[in-house]
Amino acid sequence: MSVYDVALCALQEEQTRLMRRLQELQQQRRELRDIPPDQVPFSVPALPLVFRGHTQQGKEVPTCLVSKLRICYPLPGGSALVNFDDPKVAERVVQQKEHKIDIEECRLRVQVEALELPMVTTIQVSTQISRWSVLVSGFPAGLRLSEEELLDKLEIFFGKIRNGGGEVETRELLLQGGVVLGFTKDTVAQHLCQVGQFTVPLGRQSFPLRVSPYLSGEIQKAEIMFRPVPQSGLVLNIPDVLDGPELQDILEIHFQKPSRGGGEVESLRVVPPGQRGLAVFTATSG
Amino acid sequence: MAHKRRREKRVLDPWSNEEVTKNELRKRLTDRFTKENIQLKEEIQRLEAELQEATRNSQIKEDIPETKVKFTSLENPETDSQFLNISCSFQVSSPIFYELQKGQALITFEREEVAQNVIRMGKHHIHIEDVDVEVVAKPVPLNSGVRFQVHEEVSKVKINVSEIPDALPEDQMRDKLELSFSKSRNGGGEVLCVQYHRPSHSAVVTFMEAGVADKILKKKDYPLYINENCYNVIVSPYTETHLKQFQMFSGISERTVLLTGMEDLQMMDEEILQDLVNIHFQREKNGGGEVEVVKCALDQPCIAYFEE
Repeated sequence: MSVYDVALCALQEEQTRLMRRLQELQQQRRELRDIPPDQVPFSVPALPLVFRGHTQQGKEVPTCLVSKLRICYPLPGGSALVNFDDPKVAERVVQQKEHKIDIEECRLRVQVEALELPMVTTIQVSTQISRWSVLVSGFPAGLRLSEEELLDKLEIFFGKIRNGGGEVETRELLLQGGVVLGFTKDTVAQHLCQVGQFTVPLGRQSFPLRVSPYLSGEIQKAEIMFRPVPQSGLVLNIPDVLDGPELQDILEIHFQKPSRGGGEVESLRVVPPGQRGLAVFTATSG
Repeated sequence: MAHKRRREKRVLDPWSNEEVTKNELRKRLTDRFTKENIQLKEEIQRLEAELQEATRNSQIKEDIPETKVKFTSLENPETDSQFLNISCSFQVSSPIFYELQKGQALITFEREEVAQNVIRMGKHHIHIEDVDVEVVAKPVPLNSGVRFQVHEEVSKVKINVSEIPDALPEDQMRDKLELSFSKSRNGGGEVLCVQYHRPSHSAVVTFMEAGVADKILKKKDYPLYINENCYNVIVSPYTETHLKQFQMFSGISERTVLLTGMEDLQMMDEEILQDLVNIHFQREKNGGGEVEVVKCALDQPCIAYFEE
């Protein structure tokens, strides 16, 4: 064959491949059109839910529910967190920026500030079927592997080209029981989803696992605002003259005194000089 | 002597019905295939983009309602990162609900087997006010939703600086930023490093101590000194936000059953009907068992939330 014939053959083969790919995509588009807009073209893990009597009149449904709020605020050495019963007391104490605490040998001078915590006020997330990640599901109940062991075994299996996989970049165990694997090449995810079922060794036995597309989310925007905690005050620059428990008592006594502007103290926690603390705040119910 | 030109073999080009040489035909075919393949590739790219767009679900845009927080405990920071950042985390999930229509009810059983049995039996006859009402039991169709965790970290040692003027070349400006942010009389402190990005007029300043960033951020701007001039640059918190545990799920009701067929009972009191339905389905002889909750919608529809 002449060189031109070889070139022509290659072009014809390429066209056959392209036509096949085009037909695949056209079929996918047809399938997508048949699906009602609020469903997805692949099955997603089912979460068992129960009606407990929580109802609402009217048609306005909130589009999202926020829960498990947890804020961790680092406290340096030589500081303390005082939480009052009455927010008005806290306000008074905080307004008096400097407090002089009398103890036997001397007088302690400390600063008190309002405690402000950052909270997300607006969030924007875009969701998309990931090109690089897949969801592995169908794990048998009672699988005796730790999270790390399970992720390792999955990465080993799906990291091999001979198993249809490729180099794994990210891995995450979802609390609902699936595992998300992210690959360095997007062709791997596509191929694995097309195959769909794999028998994967997990320890002494192998199990049939399902691989399906993964809907991933990306933060587009997150706005935060600092809000004060009305009942709390941050005590700073506590001099290093007393031991932990003694210091705690002295401070608590001081802040309880109405004559010093204080009031009923719900709790007071000290971080002695040279140490570090992390104050944890969670949402109050109701 | 004139050479006799070898007569080149003529072939028929089926597309144009012309007689051309073999070479000419090859050239035409090559051109044609090349052009078609380019068009096919473009069409494929367009379709791939369309499918990608089509499977992009609606953007989730939420205003998070203000939540009151309370001190819970004092812990030890395990890593440097925990000590150098204020971290805030929470879970966002789509509410899963069923819109209960007039004449419908939801009943939650304590045991899944009982719920499945009631559905399997299909029709149930409940004696209500001397009338036998035929009620049909079905599974509850639930929507799908997403759930994810947001993790936000606000640095206690870094700040964002913006609206930095173009007055100096990069290296010099970086030095001026470091000097200005070190001045304690303006609220500054010892600087660990400055990352300056001239094209976006912004920088990230990292301090040695945690308290400095807080002090500077009490105001929205900060004085930057360049020779004799003083410019006001904008300061803001340095934050990083991550999503974790993003998953889409579909709700499935295993213990709650949908009952339909009570449209004619609209004049009844909802609570009385709920009690009657409850009593009926508590009885094993009716195919039921322990009942947790019953809700009937008679004169108006209502939204019923499903939880874990």
